[in-house]
Amino acid sequence: MNRLFDLLLAKPLPEAWLQGLLFFAFTLHLLFVLITLGTAILAVFFFVDFHWGGRSRELLLDRRILRTFMAHKSLAVVLGVAPLLLMQVAFATSFFTATNLLAPYWMFFIALLIIAFLSFDILGHGIETHHRYHLAIALLALAALLLVPGILVAVLATAENSGQWLAIAKGGFRLPGPLAWHWLFRFLHILGASLVMGAVFHYFFTAKAATGRAALLPWISAGVLLQVPLGLLLYTSLLVKPDPIIQAVLVVGVVGAVLLLWVIFGAVRQGAPLTLRTVLPLVMLVLVAMLLTRQLLQNKQLLPLEKTVAANAREYGQVLEPHVAEALSAYRTALPFSYNNAETIFLQSCAFCHGKNADGRGVEAKNLLIPPENLTAIRTTRPYLYHIILSGVSGTGMGYFTIYDRYQVDDLMAYLARKYQVFARPGDIPHPIAPPALAQAEATYAKTCAACHGPDGGGSPVSRGFQPPPPDLRIYSLVPQRAFQVITQGYPGTMMPGFGEFAEEVRWGLVKTVYGKRPE
Amino acid sequence: MEFPLFQVPYLGNGMTIGIVAVVHVLISHGLAIGAMTMVVLSEYLGFRDRNPDWENFSRGLLLRAIIIITGVGAVTGVGIWVTTSALSPRGIGSLLRVFYWPWFMEWLVFVTELVILLVYYFTWDRWTGVQKRRHVYLGAGYLLMSLGSASLITGILGFMLTPDGWPWEQTLSSAFFNPTFLPQLLLRLAIALTLGSLFAMAYLLFSRWEPRFRREAGRLLGRICLVAVVLIPFLIWWYYAVVPSRYKTHIIYGILTSHLSQHPGVLFAAVAIALVVVLACAGLAWGRKAAAARVLVIPALVLSVVFVFAFERSREFMRGPYLIPGYLYATNVLLQEKPFLDQQGLLPNAYWFNMLGQDDPENQGAFLLAQNCSACHTIGGLNDIRTRVKNRSEDGIFVYLSHINEMVPFMPPFSGTEAERRILARFLYRLAQDRIHLSAPSRYTPLNGEVSHE
Repeated sequence: MNRLFDLLLAKPLPEAWLQGLLFFAFTLHLLFVLITLGTAILAVFFFVDFHWGGRSRELLLDRRILRTFMAHKSLAVVLGVAPLLLMQVAFATSFFTATNLLAPYWMFFIALLIIAFLSFDILGHGIETHHRYHLAIALLALAALLLVPGILVAVLATAENSGQWLAIAKGGFRLPGPLAWHWLFRFLHILGASLVMGAVFHYFFTAKAATGRAALLPWISAGVLLQVPLGLLLYTSLLVKPDPIIQAVLVVGVVGAVLLLWVIFGAVRQGAPLTLRTVLPLVMLVLVAMLLTRQLLQNKQLLPLEKTVAANAREYGQVLEPHVAEALSAYRTALPFSYNNAETIFLQSCAFCHGKNADGRGVEAKNLLIPPENLTAIRTTRPYLYHIILSGVSGTGMGYFTIYDRYQVDDLMAYLARKYQVFARPGDIPHPIAPPALAQAEATYAKTCAACHGPDGGGSPVSRGFQPPPPDLRIYSLVPQRAFQVITQGYPGTMMPGFGEFAEEVRWGLVKTVYGKRPE
Repeated sequence: MEFPLFQVPYLGNGMTIGIVAVVHVLISHGLAIGAMTMVVLSEYLGFRDRNPDWENFSRGLLLRAIIIITGVGAVTGVGIWVTTSALSPRGIGSLLRVFYWPWFMEWLVFVTELVILLVYYFTWDRWTGVQKRRHVYLGAGYLLMSLGSASLITGILGFMLTPDGWPWEQTLSSAFFNPTFLPQLLLRLAIALTLGSLFAMAYLLFSRWEPRFRREAGRLLGRICLVAVVLIPFLIWWYYAVVPSRYKTHIIYGILTSHLSQHPGVLFAAVAIALVVVLACAGLAWGRKAAAARVLVIPALVLSVVFVFAFERSREFMRGPYLIPGYLYATNVLLQEKPFLDQQGLLPNAYWFNMLGQDDPENQGAFLLAQNCSACHTIGGLNDIRTRVKNRSEDGIFVYLSHINEMVPFMPPFSGTEAERRILARFLYRLAQDRIHLSAPSRYTPLNGEVSHE
């Protein structure tokens, strides 16, 4: 959190503009979110009511309400793009930290939305099904849909309360006590608001007959009434104390809600329908006041934090500044560099261990307990080399290189063959070996070497578990000098000991014996 | 470094974003652009020829398309953003800043696009007779908007592959009009028309229509599909021509993965089969052989979906070690930050790691792995890091960590000091031997619970 970098610092707009746009975009988004939620709840309720509650089915209120779901939810989603953008630009640190701390829930809401949207729209526009199945699908969809504001509220509440971050991190995706209560009341408050907004929308735009409106009216009044205790609980659960300006905005919202109730009850008393002209301004007033309260509270908590982060980030930017030119020039040289030829592959992927000249003296050789092999000394077969490149040598630093495709590996092998004759025969032994020495060497092989290398050079049951296992001498050899060296000194880091105590001629005899394991 | 890290179990972070993205691409290209083009075209034909079959076909296709476009397409579009903001906050945060205004425009275009689509859908029954012409225009307006939306997003996608001069100039125009913008946009449109015509063909061939209409409609859809498919290889060639050569060289591996990298013939065979099947399906439909086309249309669709998956996957691979080339590595480390971290260490600069104060070697190793590797690798899931280092010696792993980017050019370099490389090497070595059991491998920072030892 004390680090941020240059792009995350750059704000495309002055803070006030950013905040204004955020408020506008968020209000628009939330308007449709609330109508979407309310639509879903009401559609399910009236479906149950019509089928099992004895209300007249001719109204078709549930179907008409559900039919509008597609429009509301689509608008809720697309209108959510701007607030998401603006939140992530205005409060990058807090918002990303919250999405990250609650990542499993946060990412899961996409799946929940898909379940809810597909189910409701298919019920509303596509299939006719038995009402029990309809109810089952609708309830599943409703449950999925209602979880979504729960998740988003949790993320927002987390973003706003940086003091709780560590507790959330340590608690493993759980909100700590006070924040959990705050989350619950905020979530319920949103559901309450969705009932009001959904019912108001359908009262004016969906219900065609007076009976339909009469069925919706209790939802409006009950929703507004429900918001009073929920709002109080939410207020008491706030983790920061609202300052007077925020209190004042909140009071405006409360007054709006009281006026709304007054209008509703007045209409009920007189038996007259509600009019859009009186209800809409009041509903919008309450919505705007509540969302303004939300944003002011959010700013009170987040702006100081973002400011500190930005100051730290600028400092960090200065620390990084000296490295910029170096990093960019390295990037410039790296880009056109192509791995489409064997020499490049060798130099980039092999040489740091095996050396530029393939002599086993790469820059990293000193860091490896088992030294990389001198590739110029290898005399093997094509399939064996291919096998080693693809599988590596277990217990050593030699990894597997399936990151190169068949063509590239073939090229690499051809390159090694051309340059270092890796597929040639091992060559003549540059030392005379008298028959007794050769006999002694063969006896030594049978007695000592075969324990690991096997009588035929193909390894033994004992050595199969070695890390690394001995090479298959039937298809793999080293040039005489190097073979002699390994026999004399052993292979560091492996089970292969040195046999320097034998006479030189016997050791050359061992080289010859080993070569004898390779078929002509 | 300023954000905690989350790792998706089993799938891994990259694959999670990838799956959401591919689903979105299939719907946004195939339905929102492709199938909707067929809808508007059919409606126009119905209007021009006073043919109720075209009208009914158009309407049926629209209903199916709109449910999926608004229910899955739009949501997964936002879903890519949602998943990246949890898994790769620096990357998405930076993209939002570079493309703030295009993104904001995208919002306006996106809203307009959807409003038109909704109006188009809900006025179908009302705007009839003379108003039908207006309805067709509305459909055309929708297509225009969806084209605008695709262009805006392609600018950003192209930037993530070929930012060209942006790392030096840092101007919006150099970022947006980057070398892969145009070829990629045209390629995506060709893919959209292919998928769209195939979707429409599947709907045509698997629902009840008068046989004459089915043949006539199949002829048109087959023709569109054929033209679009024939364009694709040329557009791919153009697109690949402008990608930096460093990353093209791993394209076969990128598509086939290490399981099949030694059998490159599979790739060419698969491409050939896909081309043959799709072309045959389109050709049969064009030739009014509805029954035969019906056999091939589902395989053709499935192969197209596989193609889209491979195309997106290879695009991600070609991006190589960068999230934003010239600016940010896939590890969420800045290019200029790496030398700093190499000197000063990753651990002392990891805010969250230090906040949690669990700095024993296992936790350090787990954190270094999470920061450096978890964009692609998992423990025990896809692209399992344990199989990658299995049978390697500890010093061998250490050496690899120092050369990771030169050895495997599409992998980002390790950021951290030599001592940290040794800690990670030890951790990986023990992990591959099953000697470390993390209680919550999905979250290293903060680590939840104890690290238990064997």
